[in-house]
Amino acid sequence: MVEVSTPVRWALRLAAVAYVFFLVAWPVALVVRQTFSNGLDNLIEAFQDPHVVNALELTLMVAFWAVVINTLFGVTISILLVRYEFPGKRLLSALIDVPLSVSPVVVGLALLLVYNGRDGWFGPTLEANGLQVIFDTPGMIMATCFVALPLVIREVVPTLTEVGDDQEQAARSLGANARQTFWRITLPSIKWAVIYGVVLSLARSLGEFGAVKIVSGNVTGRTQTATLMVEAKYQNFQQGTAYATSFLLILVSIACLVVVAVLRPKHP
Amino acid sequence: MSIDVSGVTKTFGDFVALDDVSVSLPTGQLTALLGPSGGGKSTLLRVIAGLETADTGRVTIEGVDATRLPPQKRNVGFVFQHYAVFKHMTVAKNVAFGLEIRKRPKAEIAARVDELLRLVHLSQFSHRLPSQLSGGQRQRMALARALAVEPKVLLLDEPFGALDAKVRKELRDWLRRLHDEVHVTTVFVTHDQEEAMEVADEIVVINDGRVEQVGTPDQLYDEPANDFVMSFLGEVTTLGGVLLRPHDVHISTTPQLAGAAEGTVSRVLRVGFEVRVNVLTDDGEDVLLVLTRTHARQLGIEPGVRVWVTPASGALTVPSMKAAVG
Amino acid sequence: MTSALAGVTGAAAEPASREGRRPRRSRRATPRNTLTKGAALGLGVTMVWFSILVLIPLAAIVATASENGWSQYVATLQNPQTWAAIKLTVGQALLVTVINIVMGTVIAWVLVRDRFPGKAILDVIIDVPFALPTIVAGLVLLALYGPNSPIGVHWANTERAVFLALAFVTLPFIVRTVQPVLEELESDVEEAAASLGASRTTIIRRIVLPSLTPAIAAGAALSFARAISEYGSLVLLSGNLPFRTEVVSVRVLSFIENGNTASAAALATIMLAVALLVIVVLDIVQRRVSRRG
Ligand SMILES: Nc1ncnc2c1ncn2[C@@H]1O[C@H](COP(=O)(O)OP(=O)(O)OP(=O)(O)O)[C@@H](O)[C@H]1O
Ligand SMILES: [Mg+2]
Repeated sequence: MVEVSTPVRWALRLAAVAYVFFLVAWPVALVVRQTFSNGLDNLIEAFQDPHVVNALELTLMVAFWAVVINTLFGVTISILLVRYEFPGKRLLSALIDVPLSVSPVVVGLALLLVYNGRDGWFGPTLEANGLQVIFDTPGMIMATCFVALPLVIREVVPTLTEVGDDQEQAARSLGANARQTFWRITLPSIKWAVIYGVVLSLARSLGEFGAVKIVSGNVTGRTQTATLMVEAKYQNFQQGTAYATSFLLILVSIACLVVVAVLRPKHP
Repeated sequence: MSIDVSGVTKTFGDFVALDDVSVSLPTGQLTALLGPSGGGKSTLLRVIAGLETADTGRVTIEGVDATRLPPQKRNVGFVFQHYAVFKHMTVAKNVAFGLEIRKRPKAEIAARVDELLRLVHLSQFSHRLPSQLSGGQRQRMALARALAVEPKVLLLDEPFGALDAKVRKELRDWLRRLHDEVHVTTVFVTHDQEEAMEVADEIVVINDGRVEQVGTPDQLYDEPANDFVMSFLGEVTTLGGVLLRPHDVHISTTPQLAGAAEGTVSRVLRVGFEVRVNVLTDDGEDVLLVLTRTHARQLGIEPGVRVWVTPASGALTVPSMKAAVG
Repeated sequence: MTSALAGVTGAAAEPASREGRRPRRSRRATPRNTLTKGAALGLGVTMVWFSILVLIPLAAIVATASENGWSQYVATLQNPQTWAAIKLTVGQALLVTVINIVMGTVIAWVLVRDRFPGKAILDVIIDVPFALPTIVAGLVLLALYGPNSPIGVHWANTERAVFLALAFVTLPFIVRTVQPVLEELESDVEEAAASLGASRTTIIRRIVLPSLTPAIAAGAALSFARAISEYGSLVLLSGNLPFRTEVVSVRVLSFIENGNTASAAALATIMLAVALLVIVVLDIVQRRVSRRG
């Protein structure tokens, strides 16, 4: 292994640390500090604002459903992609990654065009049958699902590939049926990958902004999520509340990161 | 002397990998470093190549003190167990690498690469990427790459370790012939005594970070310095407190020779043309001996038969460690 | 410490994982079908959901944009404000990607090859931009580079703000694609080069960097795709000033808000095309890597 000379090593180390410090660490620390600039006042004030509490509850609800749906969908698709051969598999595998490269604004627009109640492709029919998608929770859950879609799959597929199908075949040869094989062999072997996927999806879902902004209509107290609340409060010069809400979001996202870092097995 | 290692000690933390090792390897010879796993063979080779620096001691290569020289300046060719190919370069580019570093003219590089690829029988693969070669071909490419810079010494760390038995044997013969052609001082590491005996002019036996013995294959086999070398170079058995080769045990069904140990045949195993016999002596020693099938049939050796065993006349014996201690 | 993002970006650096264990088989002319009844049902249900959620909505964008043929695209691109937004977005995204190529590789190198107290913290911080809500990212950057900047840098509502936001949200991509590759580089390859006489700089230039190139390319593609589609982090930071700091996403949003869905869809289609291009490039890079083996 090449050892770079000491001055070069120091220069690289300094560059890396300084870049990350000025771009991420210091700004985040400043927001945390500003949250507590008047002690706990900002946080208390935020929690006494019914709109904030409402937004937090809505965020949790939307994120919960999005994660549940993405987990079911992700595990199923992963198993199909790794364990089966079928025409169009390569295409599907490429399409799965599309949501990573689509702007949240475009996601919002796409859902709007299909599901809005006025002139969307399916929207009027759905509304006639009592299901409002756009400007309501179903649309917000869909938007969140869209942006976080590949995360579980990207965790599970490599693990599933690595584990191989020997154990599953062994289980089959011992008389286990498909359902038993899945619950007793496949799922336990991808358990951790699924958990990382869930945690990452959760972080992404709690923080979604652009797509949700478009499909929710951003109605304060009804369809305003925590991230939309941050924007509104900041622009209304209620910066204390904006900081407090941001602080909560930072806390949750860093907690997610730490959970993943701790859970992920160290590779040799 | 081409390579002189004197008083080299190397520790990793508080683990002593090389303990005051001194060996001299003569110019133009093919030397094997032989020893059990973890004995320090790779470490010694890497110290010679400059990939590891010794804590104490000196390394001299072709009369030049190389102890403090970085690997780039030592002009040694090193072939790694897992080839260490440059994956993103073609076979020809891999071989040309060292020459390009030395800024040789293009035409000269092309000619030399051509010549070397012919030498290792890879001419038709020159434009392939290493991933498109078999293990044996990759190893030959690694060898050509090391030879390209005309190193003063060629060091190979278990060069055939990752190959299957047949390819291994082919490459082993091929290495011997190659060495006879290019005559570069060559040191290769192996833990396979058969490989060492067959290929090397000289063998250095290393165990536990120490040199146990240096000598030609015959010297090592016929005059092992101690019981470790003896048992490492071939099968041994104990009889009357000494180590000897199983084919050096004399067996008879009557008490012919004085001092023979009496015992009972406990197991007879036929392996091809030879018969392996275990005898449990009345003193409680389990002696292994090897006979030809004809001989065994003549004597009527079968489990349960009473026999007398003794070292054959002229047999090489070494006091066993247990006997020496006890 | 290992990264939370490894799985997200790692797939780009680890070829063939998506294709399962038998990449050769998938190259056959006629793909085999090994679906059992249950699996086929599962595939059906997930495909319906995938269509409802992703395929049909994206198709709706392309369809809406193409209702008036090419004229919609031409009109959209000819709008000077839109054109300025495209130029700004692509320009800043390119700049950020270049910076990421350099800094991302340096950071990955430091994380893998260097050792110093606090390195584990650095490793975790790299992932923060990924986990942080984008709106919060904007707020956070505003704290250091906004009007109340403690270091006197007032970049809010300027082009620099766009750069900052994009650099922030794309920080992890190259680091996390390069890091695993660097970790798995075998040290004997570098030693082989050293014993052949290569100096340290030569080894880095001719052995290490070429091995990292596919990973860097994959990370750069991801980072560029993310940068041109960024929205949330710019909302508070860049001020969305037309002709100055307005990016494409903001432009799409204002078309939506003005009820001009056709223009919004046309601009969105152009962005989708760019995203698709990036995915194709990514795939080619991955396949070239897997051929190398
Ligand atoms: N970089 C290192 N750090 C710590 N210990 C090491 C290192 N390299 C080697 N060792 C230790 O030094 C001893 C000798 O190692 P070496 O690789 O020289 O053995 P070897 O004779 O080549 O064995 P093998 O036949 O298995 O390759 C071993 O016990 C090994 O664990
Ligand atoms: Mg070794």
